[in-house]
Amino acid sequence: MKKELLIAMSMVITVVVMAYIATLGGGLGPLFSDVRPLAKAFLSTTLDPEKPLFTAMSPEAVTAIVWDYRGLDTLFETAVFYLAIIGAIAIYRDVNEKVGLKGSGLGLSKIVRVVTKVLIPINIAIAISIALHGHLTPGGGFQAGAAMAVMPMLLIVVFSRYFLLELKLTKGLALAFRSIGLTGIALTVFLPIIIALVNGVNAYIMQNQMKVNAPVGLPAFIGNSLISGSLILYNVFEFLAVTFGFSVLFLLLSIEEDIVKDQMRGEVSEH
Amino acid sequence: MIEYVMVVVGGALLLIGAVCDLIGALGMNRFPNFFVRLHAATVGVIGGAFYPLIGAALIAFGSEYLGTYRWFVGGCALVSAFLILILAPAGSHALARAAHKSKTAVVTPKVADHLEEDGGVK
Repeated sequence: MKKELLIAMSMVITVVVMAYIATLGGGLGPLFSDVRPLAKAFLSTTLDPEKPLFTAMSPEAVTAIVWDYRGLDTLFETAVFYLAIIGAIAIYRDVNEKVGLKGSGLGLSKIVRVVTKVLIPINIAIAISIALHGHLTPGGGFQAGAAMAVMPMLLIVVFSRYFLLELKLTKGLALAFRSIGLTGIALTVFLPIIIALVNGVNAYIMQNQMKVNAPVGLPAFIGNSLISGSLILYNVFEFLAVTFGFSVLFLLLSIEEDIVKDQMRGEVSEH
Repeated sequence: MIEYVMVVVGGALLLIGAVCDLIGALGMNRFPNFFVRLHAATVGVIGGAFYPLIGAALIAFGSEYLGTYRWFVGGCALVSAFLILILAPAGSHALARAAHKSKTAVVTPKVADHLEEDGGVK
C-alpha cells in the first residue's frame, strides 16, 4: 500500500512539474533564451533575396539546410536507406508474390473497411500537401512519403495483400515508381551542371541558388508562388521514392511466412 | 458574451475529458479481462480525447485575442476530433473481433457472450 502511494505521488508530482515548466514557467523559452550565432546565420540567410550568394530562398530553414546547405549529406543518407530496401528485395528475389491468390473476400470486417475508405482520400491529400509544401512548412519529402506509405500498409491490413495486387500495385510497379523518384533526384543533382554546360559557365553539384563564380541559379518563383529552386524538386522526387520504397517493403513483408519458406526451400533443392 | 459562454462550455468539456481519462485508467488497471479493459480504453479515448478536443476548439473560437489564428487552431482540433471519433471505435472493434476470433483472449469471468452463442465471428 505504501509503495503504491509513493508511485501515485511521484506521478502526480511529475505531471505538476511538467505542467509548470510548460505553462507558468513561460514555456521552454527561458532555458534557451539566446539564439546561437550559427542559427542566426542560417535564419538570416534562408529567405533573403538581398543576399543572393548565400540564400536558399526557402522560409523553412530545416529543408534549406537538409537539401541545400548540406545536400550531399542528405543524398548519401537517402542512398543508405535505399541500400537497405535493395537488401530486402535481394532476399525476396525469387519469391513469387502472386502465389496464394484467393480473391478479394479477405480482410477485416465491414466497419473497418468503411472507415478505411473514408480515411484514404484524407491520407493522400495530407501526404501530397506535406510534399508540395516541404520548402514552406515543416515536413518535406521523406515525411510526406512516410505519411503516404501508411496507405498501402492500411490497405494490406484491412483489405489483404491480394487487394493491392488486384489494383495492379505489384512489386515491379512499386519498384518502377521508386526508380523514377531516385532518377529524378539524380537528375536534379546534375541539373545546375547541365544548365552551366549549355551556357558555358561554372556550377557546383546540387547547387540551388547562384554562388560566387557559379552564376547558375534555379528559379525561386513560378509566377508569384515560391518554389525555392531545387528544393521542391527534391521534395517531390523523394516523396515518390520513399512512398514506393516503403510500399515494396510492405508488399514483401506481408507475404505469408509459409509461402516464402516453401519457395526458398524449393530454390535450394534445385541447385 | 457568446465568446464567454463558449470558453466556459469548452472548459467544462475539458473537465469531463479529465474525469473520463481517470475512469479509463482505473478501468484499465482493475477490470478482469481483455474485452472490458478494451471498453475502459475506449472510454479513455472517446471521453478523454474527443470531448477535450471539442472543448479546445470551443475555447479557441471564444478567445478573440488570438485573432484570425483561432479559426486555424479550432479547425485543427475539430478535424482531429472527427478522426478520433471514427478511428477509435473502428480500431477497438477490429481488436476485439480479432481477439474473439483467434481465441487469444478468454472471456472470463463471463456474464453473457452473445457472439459465441451465435456461432462466433464469421
